[in-house]
Amino acid sequence: MYFVELGVKGLVYGCMYAMMAVGLTLVYGLLRILHIAHAGVFALGAFIAVVVANATGSLALGVALAIVLSAVAGVAIYRFAYQPLLGHPAFVPMIVSIGIFVVMQEGFRMVFGAYGIAFEHNPYYTATVDLAGIRLNYVEIAMVIAATVLLVGFGLFASLTRAGIGSRGTVSDPQMATSFGVDPVRVRYLNFIFGSGLAGIAGALVGLLNNYVEPTMGGLVSYKALAIIVLGGLGSVRGTLIASLILGVVESYGTIYLADIFDRDAIGFLFLIVVLMVRPQGLLGRG
Amino acid sequence: MSGYIASLLSVIGINMILALSLNIITGFCGQVSLGHAAFYGIGAYTAAYLSKLGVPLLLTLPAGAAMAGLIGVVVGLTSLRVRHDFLAVTTMGIGFLFLGFVRKQKWLGAELGISGIPGPGLDPLAYALLIGISAASVVAFSLWIKRSWMGFTFDAVADDEDAARTVGINVPAYKLTAFGIGTALAGLAGGLYVYFARIILPDTFDFVQSIAILTMVVIGGTGSVWGVVASTVALTLLPEVSRAASDYRLLIFGGMLILVMRFSPGGLAGMARAYIAAYRARRRALP
Amino acid sequence: MTVLAHIDDLHKSFGGVAAANGASFAVTAGELLAVIGPNGAGKTTTLRLMAGLLQPDSGRILFDDRDVTSLPAHARVRLGLGFTHQIVRPFYSFSTIENVMIAAGHRQTTSPWRALMPRSRQAARERAAAILERIGLAGQAEQSPRALPLGQRKRLEVARAIALDPRLLLLDEPLAGLSSAEAATMADLIRTLPQAGITVVLVEHNLGEVLRVADRIVVLDGGKVLADGAPAEVMARADVRQAYTGTS
Repeated sequence: MYFVELGVKGLVYGCMYAMMAVGLTLVYGLLRILHIAHAGVFALGAFIAVVVANATGSLALGVALAIVLSAVAGVAIYRFAYQPLLGHPAFVPMIVSIGIFVVMQEGFRMVFGAYGIAFEHNPYYTATVDLAGIRLNYVEIAMVIAATVLLVGFGLFASLTRAGIGSRGTVSDPQMATSFGVDPVRVRYLNFIFGSGLAGIAGALVGLLNNYVEPTMGGLVSYKALAIIVLGGLGSVRGTLIASLILGVVESYGTIYLADIFDRDAIGFLFLIVVLMVRPQGLLGRG
Repeated sequence: MSGYIASLLSVIGINMILALSLNIITGFCGQVSLGHAAFYGIGAYTAAYLSKLGVPLLLTLPAGAAMAGLIGVVVGLTSLRVRHDFLAVTTMGIGFLFLGFVRKQKWLGAELGISGIPGPGLDPLAYALLIGISAASVVAFSLWIKRSWMGFTFDAVADDEDAARTVGINVPAYKLTAFGIGTALAGLAGGLYVYFARIILPDTFDFVQSIAILTMVVIGGTGSVWGVVASTVALTLLPEVSRAASDYRLLIFGGMLILVMRFSPGGLAGMARAYIAAYRARRRALP
Repeated sequence: MTVLAHIDDLHKSFGGVAAANGASFAVTAGELLAVIGPNGAGKTTTLRLMAGLLQPDSGRILFDDRDVTSLPAHARVRLGLGFTHQIVRPFYSFSTIENVMIAAGHRQTTSPWRALMPRSRQAARERAAAILERIGLAGQAEQSPRALPLGQRKRLEVARAIALDPRLLLLDEPLAGLSSAEAATMADLIRTLPQAGITVVLVEHNLGEVLRVADRIVVLDGGKVLADGAPAEVMARADVRQAYTGTS
C-alpha cells in the first residue's frame, strides 16, 4: 500500500511539475529560449496569492489575482526582454532570463524577507481525505484537478480551434502560418499568457500545500521543470506532460531507495542525465 | 589593515581564476555551462579532505585540480552527445547532482561541510601573493590559448561544429580539452579557496555561485580575457566599496546581466571595441 | 589508372525510405567524376556517406585501399578526403581569409596538444591569400562571408576545401543557385582541380555544365547505380533518359 501511495504522491508532484513545465516548453517551442525567469513567475503567483488572501481573507481572490498577474508578468518579460533579442543567438536571451530570475528572487527577499510569509486562513492545509486507503490533502487533489482540466482544455484548444491550430502552425512553420493570416506575435502573447498563468496557479497551489511562501521556492521547481522539458523533448507538449509525471514518480521512489546517496532534488537530475546519455533527444524528442 | 588587503586580493585572485576558467569553456569553445561551481566545489572538497589527512598544500592543490579536471572531462563527454540547449540544462543538473551528493555524504561533512582546515603555512599577505601569481598565470595561459591555433580552433568549433568537422577538426577532442582545462582550473581555485577560508560548506558551491561566475564572464565579454579580468575585479570590489551594494549583491548581478545582455551582449569588451572603432572612424573623418 | 576510392554496396535508409540501395562505383585518380540522377536518387546521401557525415547501414567505403567506413568525418579529411556542402557553411564569425586559414593550418590542428604549441598564423595566412588569389576572391579577403553574394560564398567553400590539401574532393551541388554565367565560371574552376592533383567527385543537377567538364558520369536512380561511363555514351542510353523523364 505504501508503494501505491508513493506512486500517487509522485503523480501529484508530477501534476505540479507539468503545470510549470508546459509554460516552459511552449516558450522553447516558439522562441528556442530557455525561459528560466519562469521560476520568478511561479514565485510571483505564490506571493500574490498569499498577500491577497491574507489581506482580504479570500483564498479564491488570491488565486485569481495570482493567475492574472502572473500572466501579465510573463507577457511583460516576453515584450521587454525576449522580443528585442530575437535576432541574437539563444545564449543572449537565456542570460537575460537568468538575470530576471535572480532580480525577481532577490526582490521577493527584500520585500517579504528571507523567511517568507504564511497563509493566515488556510483550512486546506491540514484537511485530508482518504481515497481507497491513500491519504490525500485537499490541495493535492486540487492540483491534480487543476492540472488535468487546464491541460486537457489546452490540448482540445490546440487541436480543435482555429486559433489553436494556427498557434501550432507558428511553431512548425512560422512563414507558412503568417501567409495563412496567423499573427505570430499574437500567438506568442497567448502562449506566454497561458504558460505564465499556469505557473501562477502552480505557485499558489504549492504555497497552499506548504502553507507558506518563501523567495527561493521558484528555483528548485523551475530547474526541475527545465530538466523535464529536456527529458520530454524540447518543444513537445505531450513529451513534457509524460516526462513530468514520470519525474514525479521517479523522485518519489528514488528518494526512498537512494536516500543515503543523493537528496531528492538531485535524483531528478540524475534521472535526466542518465536518460540523455541513452537517448540524447529526450524521451519523446525527435533528435 | 594589511589583513583586509590580503583578504581582498585573495578573493579577487580566486574569482579571477574561476571566471577565466569558465571563459575557456563557454567563451572560447562556446559550450554553455551553468554548473561550473560544482568543479570549484570538487577541487575544494578534494583539497580540504586531503589537507585534513595531513597532505601538504603543494600536493592538495594539484590533486584538487586533477580531480575537477577528470570529472570535468566526464561531464564533457555528455556535451558530446547533446545539443546546445540541452547542455545548459545538463550542466545545471551536474551542479545539483554535486550539491545533492555532497550534502548527504557524512564523510564529507554532509550539510556542515568541512571545518578546521589547516592554514597554508604562509602569512596572509604571502598567501595572497601566491594566489595572485596563480591568477596571473591563468591570465597568461588564457591569452596564450587565445592567440594559439587552439584558440583559432575553439573559435571554429564555437561558430559551427559541423563546418569544423569538414575542415578536419576533431570536434569531440577539442570540446573535451576545453572542459578539462576549464574545470581543472576551477578546481585549482577551489583548492586555493580552502586554505583561505579554512572552512567549506556545500552551499558555497550552489547554482547561485555558478551564476555569479557566469556573470563575471558575461559582463566582461564572453571570450575576452581582459574583459573578464576587468569585470572580475569590478564585481568583486563592488560589495567592498559600497555597503548597499554588498547587501544587494545578487540583485545587482541580476540587474547587470539583464542590462548588459539586453543592450550590449558583448559585455565590457564589446563596449570597448565599439568605442575604439567609433573613435578610429571619427579620426579618419577629420581632415 | 589507379583507383583512388571505391564505394561498395552502400545501403542507407531514413525512416524506411532507402536513400542508398546498393550503390557501388570506383573513383579513378585524376578524374573528374560527376554523379547525376533524378531527384531522390540518393546522390547527396551517397556523397555524405563518402565524406563520413553519415554512417551507412551496410556497405564499405574505401579510400586508397583503406577501409574508412567507420572513420569519422574529420579523420577522413586528414587522410585527404575533402567535402563541400550544398548549402554553404562558412564560419560567419570569421573573415573570408580566416575561413581559408583555419583549413590551411590543418597541420597545426591535428590534436589539441599540437594546437597549443607556439606557431604563428603567418604561414597559413600566406597560403590562404594565395588560394584566394587563384579562386578570384582576393579582394574579399577581409570581408565577412555575410557580405558575399552566393556565388562568392560557394567559391569560398571550395577555397576552404582546397586549403586542406585533399587528394579527393567531394562537391555537393556546387552550381546550385548560381546564374548560368556564375555556374560556367565555377565549372571551369572545378575543371582545373584534377590537373592540380585533386580528384573530384561532384554531385550536380546542372546537366549542361556537367557534360561539359566531366571525364566520367555515374547515374544513380533509386539509390543504385544505373549507368557508369563516358558522358556521351551514358547520356545516349535509353534507360538513363527514362530515369530522368520519370517513367520507371
